[in-house]
Amino acid sequence: MPRRARHTSIETKHYAERDALFDGLRHLDRRAFLKVSAAAAAAAAVHGMVPQSFMPIDVAYAATSGVEPFRIAYISDAHLYERAVNERFVRSLLRAVDDVNHLDPQPDFVLFGGDLAQLGQAGELDLGAQILKNVKAPMHMMVGEHDWFLDLGEKWQALFGQPTYSFDHKGVHFVVLNSIHEDDFWTARGMTPMQRMQTVAGLDNGLQGRFQVGAPQREWLKQDLAKISKQTPLIVFSHSPLYKYYRPWNFWTEDADEVQAILKPFNTVTVIHGHTHQMLTNRIGNIQFHGMLSTAWPWPYAPQGLPPLTIQMDRADPFNPNDGCGNGGVEVHADGLVDKVYNLWNRNPVTVSANYLSSRGTKNVPAKPNLVSF
Amino acid sequence: MNRWPHRLGLAATMAVACWITTSAAAAQNLHGAMPMADQAQKFAALKPKEAAALASTRIDPVIWQSVVPEDNTLTPARVALGEKLYFDARLSADGTVACATCHDVSRGFTDQRPVSEGIRDQLGRRNAPTTMNALLMQTMFLDGRSPNLEEQAKLPIINPIEMGQPDGAAVTKLVANDAAYQPLFKDAYGRAPTYEDVGRALAAFERTLVFLDSPFDDFARGDVHAISPQAQDGWVLFNGKARCVSCHALNPSNPLGTDNRFHNIGVSARHQDFEQLATRAQIELAKNSNPHALDELALSTDMSELGRFMVTRDRADIGAFKTMQLRNIVLTAPYMHDGTLQTLWDVMDHYNKGGEANPYLDGGIEPLALSESEIDAVVAFMATLTDKRFADQAQTILAAQRTAAATKRPFRDNALALRQLIPFEQRVTGKGGK
Amino acid sequence: MRMLIGTRAAFASLALLAVAALHAGAQDAAPTATAAGTAGGEMEVKLCDNKTTTTVPADQPRTAENGQKIASALMAQWLEKNPDTGWVKDELERHELVMPADNNALIGRGQGATYSAITSEDVLLWRNETVKFAAEGSTIFHSGDKLKSQIAVSCDMCHPHAANTHPETYPKFQPQLGRVALLRDMINWCIEHPVRGEKLDPDSANMRALEAYIMAQRKGAAMDYGRR
Repeated sequence: MPRRARHTSIETKHYAERDALFDGLRHLDRRAFLKVSAAAAAAAAVHGMVPQSFMPIDVAYAATSGVEPFRIAYISDAHLYERAVNERFVRSLLRAVDDVNHLDPQPDFVLFGGDLAQLGQAGELDLGAQILKNVKAPMHMMVGEHDWFLDLGEKWQALFGQPTYSFDHKGVHFVVLNSIHEDDFWTARGMTPMQRMQTVAGLDNGLQGRFQVGAPQREWLKQDLAKISKQTPLIVFSHSPLYKYYRPWNFWTEDADEVQAILKPFNTVTVIHGHTHQMLTNRIGNIQFHGMLSTAWPWPYAPQGLPPLTIQMDRADPFNPNDGCGNGGVEVHADGLVDKVYNLWNRNPVTVSANYLSSRGTKNVPAKPNLVSF
Repeated sequence: MNRWPHRLGLAATMAVACWITTSAAAAQNLHGAMPMADQAQKFAALKPKEAAALASTRIDPVIWQSVVPEDNTLTPARVALGEKLYFDARLSADGTVACATCHDVSRGFTDQRPVSEGIRDQLGRRNAPTTMNALLMQTMFLDGRSPNLEEQAKLPIINPIEMGQPDGAAVTKLVANDAAYQPLFKDAYGRAPTYEDVGRALAAFERTLVFLDSPFDDFARGDVHAISPQAQDGWVLFNGKARCVSCHALNPSNPLGTDNRFHNIGVSARHQDFEQLATRAQIELAKNSNPHALDELALSTDMSELGRFMVTRDRADIGAFKTMQLRNIVLTAPYMHDGTLQTLWDVMDHYNKGGEANPYLDGGIEPLALSESEIDAVVAFMATLTDKRFADQAQTILAAQRTAAATKRPFRDNALALRQLIPFEQRVTGKGGK
Repeated sequence: MRMLIGTRAAFASLALLAVAALHAGAQDAAPTATAAGTAGGEMEVKLCDNKTTTTVPADQPRTAENGQKIASALMAQWLEKNPDTGWVKDELERHELVMPADNNALIGRGQGATYSAITSEDVLLWRNETVKFAAEGSTIFHSGDKLKSQIAVSCDMCHPHAANTHPETYPKFQPQLGRVALLRDMINWCIEHPVRGEKLDPDSANMRALEAYIMAQRKGAAMDYGRR
């Protein structure tokens, strides 16, 4: 069979299918939606690993909450040192930016999940800000403890503004928290700012306090959420997990119960958090929790407290500094719930769907790992 | 539909079966290979003294046992049959291409060309791996699509670009009608020829192609003078700073210098539309999955650049190709799946700068900051992996490579290698260099 | 050399003091470092304890760098005379260490010359030395500087509390090394690659201490060599 003829028809066919899909989606007439989505799902059914850019939006979610479905992307936990000190982490962040810039279609916005710097130094934060300027889509920034504890947020705020804020987008109310506050452990010990920062930078360093949102911020949250109806879908971005997973590694939020109590009355709540550098899934009451991948390095699963719904990622290969790392996305459905996409480098992407959480792990179960952490 | 290739194939088969070869031989297109008769002679001189290397002393006995299948244990009859088939160009549709055309005894059991040339001078898309030591590879082909030598041997014969037979049945008919082959198949497998047995015989022969007697092996066994101090430095670098051993594993059970896995090191990313192809293919390939179709697709379309992905359809395998063995590596230039790297210095430059940034790059490839003398040391080490029987040939080739590398190093990028520029930086910020 | 968190700051301030003293000149110096002239163009710099001294060329330029060298030399001497005795306690406060087996049941038992009449002091001694050895490993494990990392990476960044080091599975085939490895081989490989530090002599004090810490943290896991 002549090679040329085959090629042209493939390309043409592909683009025709794709155009049909997106055309169809613009008309939210349910019948058209179903027809077009089914075709797209068929075309894209390749071992469940369609390129991140061409993920068909799940048909199962009816438009109930006034949300126009959309997708966002994230890059998190870059832990930058300055170039001259460590160029590996810089390479990883650049790779993540490259990935996100090549998404087609582009996400509505990109979240940075915290820990842009490793030791909170001005040079590190400046470097990170400079790199993130290359992200094509609009960015929303979130602070992590590695950004904060050198100067208690001075440089961060100068670069990126208030760490705590909220905004609305296509019917969803987004809240960005600074959930890495710690009670003062440094004054009594006479620590310098860098000593304080290095203490916090050690995940297993027991001298630091446990993360918390803190009373003032909880108060702010209450006020902020008082403005929206209980039906409005809520997505909370937080660096610490907002639940209690493993205290010795600060995979933990000390006032998680209080924060969850504030979020509980809302119909649809999802928390997207950083800090844990691993695939992590949890559900507490009606709140769904998803962890973000780090670009810099993966962490092993904690010896205790792992939420049972979690689909673990396979143990990482230490030869490959990008293994167990990556970036990802969040697909927001018409009902305000989300599918969490883990775009693991050098591995197949994994999607943990809202359905999986809503069904308490009985439906849409992602593939289990076969090489768990020790 | 175009029936000419089919008709030509059938006609050629019939002509060949009538045994009009001697006059045809003079005008025969060798596709750059040494003539088959000469190759067979050369091979006879290479063969180890002990009987057909049936019990190779170079391979761990436990491993040897595990690579020989139960239904194809080595017998002199099978090896002899396989040898005859290997050098038999009549197995191709136009009588010009044998296994030994692209896996030429005088050219490192490969063809020393970037990509291979088949019948009617058609060019494929990939570099021919060497048949030397292939018995120890866990999969065959650069994308690992065949699980063993038996399966691999059957595919080039029926590939339209390589040997061009229409199907296995045509090949079976050819050998079945040949008076010389009939008794050989009877002796080897106790039955009339089948296409499976053609594959088995070739595999049996290839299992005797063991070339693991190198200066490095003497060094590994305790002779510290077997390789130069420079090569010894190279061996240290190989295991350390140069980060080679993690993919090019070398140990007594696996002496080849490969992990038998597939990695995207960025070579395919140098092809212009690689990333576009990747996106297209992820959707397109859902439609087509039988081995014969994949084989064709691999060799005749741009999709070939997607490598292992064509077999597994895993996104993690896009642009990934098999880690090739390092044994006799001096003899098997040019390098990489598309033969684009001419010398071992080009190879070192490619790795030194961290490969080629692309969305599917194996993160284990990173800039190495190797100095020129360190590069020379690693090359010197690699040269010690040449089987002693090819020492002279390798010396000539390496000298030629050294001369070429002295004048041009097209893949060298010091800014990347020394980590002044960071991979992905150009793609993201558009700054710096090319 | 083990240091309290505070001594790094002390280092820096000593350097400043030394430089200040040199600039100020011998007579008006506060009772910190006195620079007395000696024959042959050399100068003696004395620490504030009036005992620890070091000698430098009199005409050495008075740069911050040279001041730091002087301070470091003085500090090294001082520490030798005043070893940092609280370091174990500090390390254990910072980084949880699994305690060694409890040998109290052996008190009063034993026979023969070496293992006779075990006392509670013996048990305390054994435990103390064992804990110190593992704690030493913990300090190295948590320090990019001690590992001589060129990229400021320490082991705990990927292995908090030595998680995921699985020492009980060695010896085993380690793909990253292409061959069978012992724990110390993998430690060295990790130092060379993810940490980009200086490989350790397998019998060096640092390697032994690192092994000790890693094994300590995995107390209770069944030996399972070869497990991947």
